[in-house]
Order: sequence, then C-alpha cells, then structure tokens
Amino acid sequence: MKIPSPDSSAQDSSTRNSTDLINRYLQAVRFWLPKSHRQEDLIAELGEDLRSQIEDNETELGHPLDNAEIAAILKRCGSPMMVAGRLGPQRHLIGPALFPIYEFVLKMVLLWILVPVFVFIVGPANVANSGGNWPLAILSTFGDLWSGLFIAAGIITLVFAIIERTNTQLGTEIKWDPLKLPPVRKEEQRKPSLLKAACEFGFNIFGLIWLLLVPYYPFLILGPAAAFLKAGPLVHMFYLPFVLLSVVALVRSGITLTRPHWAWFPLVSQLLQSVLMLTLLHYMIQAITKAPSGFPFVVLEDAVRNSPKYFKLVAIVNVSLLISVASTWLGVGIAAVIQIWALLRYLRNRPLPPRGMVSLILR
Amino acid sequence: MTNGTQGGPEILENLKLELRRGCLIVAVLAQLRTEQYGYTLRKALAEDGLAIDEGTLYPLLRRLETQGLLVSQWREEDKRNKRFYLLSPAGEIILKQLLEEWENINSSLNKILQEATR
Repeated sequence: MKIPSPDSSAQDSSTRNSTDLINRYLQAVRFWLPKSHRQEDLIAELGEDLRSQIEDNETELGHPLDNAEIAAILKRCGSPMMVAGRLGPQRHLIGPALFPIYEFVLKMVLLWILVPVFVFIVGPANVANSGGNWPLAILSTFGDLWSGLFIAAGIITLVFAIIERTNTQLGTEIKWDPLKLPPVRKEEQRKPSLLKAACEFGFNIFGLIWLLLVPYYPFLILGPAAAFLKAGPLVHMFYLPFVLLSVVALVRSGITLTRPHWAWFPLVSQLLQSVLMLTLLHYMIQAITKAPSGFPFVVLEDAVRNSPKYFKLVAIVNVSLLISVASTWLGVGIAAVIQIWALLRYLRNRPLPPRGMVSLILR
Repeated sequence: MTNGTQGGPEILENLKLELRRGCLIVAVLAQLRTEQYGYTLRKALAEDGLAIDEGTLYPLLRRLETQGLLVSQWREEDKRNKRFYLLSPAGEIILKQLLEEWENINSSLNKILQEATR
C-alpha cells in the first residue's frame, strides 16, 4: 500500500525514522527474550506486525507517521521487557512481566559475580591454605561454589516469587519512552580473524621447534641453571606426549588458517585440545604423587650432586614447576568450561535451515 | 466472611480473562480456515470484537502450530516477508469438535439460566 505524498524525500526520511525506531524497539525486546531458535522468528514476526500497524495508520491518516506517532504505537504495544515476557515461554512461579528481570538478575549474580569470585579469589585462597593438598582444596572450592550457586538461585527465586505474589502491578507501570531507546548496534558476524589464525600458527611452529630443541640445548628452558640441573624422570616420561600435543596444536591452527569458513572448527578443536591437555596433566599429576624421587622435574647434574647449596635450589625449582603444572591444570580447566559455553552458544545460535526467511532488517 | 465486593474488579478481570482464553483459541482456529498472517488475523479478530495483543497472539499461534493444528509459512507479499498461517487437516477436525462442544456448553448454559429465571 503506497501513500501518495507530494514530498517523496520527506516520506523517505519518515520511512528511515520508522525503520530505525522499530529496529531499536526490536533490539530492546530481543535483549529480554530468552535466547533460543525461536527468538529471531518471534522478533521478525513482531517487526512485521508493527510495520503493518504503521502502514495501516499511514493509510488512514493519509500521511507518513512521524516519530511521535510511531512512538505512540510502540507505547501501546508495551515496554520491551513486558512484550518479551509475554512472547517468551509460559512461566508459572514467576510471571511473564517479572521473568526477564529475574533471568537477568540470576545470570548476573551466578555467572558474573559468584563464579568469578570462587574461581579467582576463593579457589586460589583455598589452594594457598591447603598445606600442599591442593586437589582437595580445588574439590572443596567446587563443592562450596555449587552450594553457593544453589543457595543464591534459591534466594533470588524466592524473592522474585514473593514480589510476583505481592505486587501484581509490578512491571505494568514501568515508565519508558520509545524515543529514548538505545540506537541499533551493528551485529558483526563472527568472522574468524586471519591475523589471529596466522599468529597462532606462527607461535605453534615456534613452540614446536623450541620443544624439539630443548633436549639438546637445556639452557632454552633452564637458562644459566642448565649448568647444574638436568631433566628429571617425569620430563623424560612426558616429553613425547607434549611434543605430540604441540603437533596437534600446529595442525589445528593450520586448518583454522586454511579453512576460515569452518566456523565450528576452532570451537571444536580448541575444546578437544584442552581435553587432551587436561588428560595429559592429570596423568602427570598422578605420576608426581607416585614418584619415588622428591625431584620429579629436574635433578642435579652429577658434578654437583652432593652440594647442599644446589640441593636447596633444585627443591625450590621442583616446587615452582609443581605449582606451574597445577595452575596450568586449573587454567586449562577454566578455558575448557568457557570453550564448552562458546560451543553451546554457537550451536544454539547457528542459522536454521531456510524456511523462507528470517530477516530482521526492515525495509 | 469476606466482603464480596473486595477486589471485585480484579476478580472480574481474572474471570473474564479465563473465559476469553478458551474462546480465543476457537476464534483463532475459526479465522484461520482461510490463510492469514499475524497482523491481518489480529485485525480481523479485533473487528469482530475479540481484540488480542501481539504478545498473546504470537505465542498462541506457535503453540497451536506445535500441536499440529496450524501450518505456517514465511512468504513474500508486497515486497515484505510475512508469516502466513492456515488451519491444518488435524486443526479442522479439532475445530469441528470444539464447535460442537461450544454448542453443548452454550445450550446447557442457556438451559441453566432459563431455569434460574423461572
């Protein structure tokens, strides 16, 4: 339905305004909607409905709608949070009006406050006070984190359920102004960075060469201490698996570099590499606990074997390496969790098979 | 004993909402005997006195589609992509049964009301 207008440029400008305002509104609704394959579908349909309403109003009034008139339509439709609540799945304990805020608060408290506090503060503090029994400290931290998450989720749910029961009007009287909605953010497609992939490939080549040279030139890892230290039994035992892991990493970065369109590959292969690394570190830690020698990583060269001064030094180096292995295990574990999350997000948000259209760009 | 008028408007609103909920499903199914997209369906319902907001209609349409009572398709019309809905064969059977049930309820209710006024 075309609206005759004497000034086509004014109409174009009005169309641009309405498109912008609707897109801003849809962006705000999308923020509050649960992320699922239905999210884009619902947003597309809501956008089409709003455009049809605007078109109908324009036909009725005989002129393109200005921002205030479009804002009135959006206002009648409801605040983005309310609309998202109604469009989302049916909730029983916490109603549609409150559910988006509940979900937001829950995510904030659990994922962005509790988890980081436990991972970066409580965990390291427990390990430091464990008196060397760090596996138990890590387990205890995870146990505390689990209880903490459970209790926090329970309290938040209870508070929101009480608000839901006691204040049925909450959420319906939110003051909002469609004209003050934030501008549309340009959503960049997840493009694998060629530079990043190239750098990763270069570092992996460098790392592999370094690792292959270490047995022949121990100073590459021990520095000046290579004069009186040499590799211990554990290093000999795990050297080959680490070389193989480096080869895997090199192949992985090579494939990422040459197949940038395989968006899934970096996510899957990084996770696989982390799992391999964790397995290797697990066996390494097991071997340390069973090692007959107190110095599993480095031992003294024969020439200084009986020197008490060097004996103390080798003990310090071994403890430092033990802490490094434990920290790496923790770091790779956290990385694996983040990688699983990234992979799940990718699987959830990947494009659905074409069903005709799901396009949000309103013309 | 509680005061019967306390919370009256709220109770009435809730009861009206409950009454409307079931009727809306029948109305939507009946309207979709001919293919329509969301906005025209909403408009048609509003013109017949059953206004429904976007936040209620679209989840309802999805639910009915998941139940196999509707089929939908994104299609371009007037240079815009729209999702068109139509009653499925299963939906037609269910609608027929629902209308029969509606007739039964209606006649029972009329009978009850006539008896009450006697």
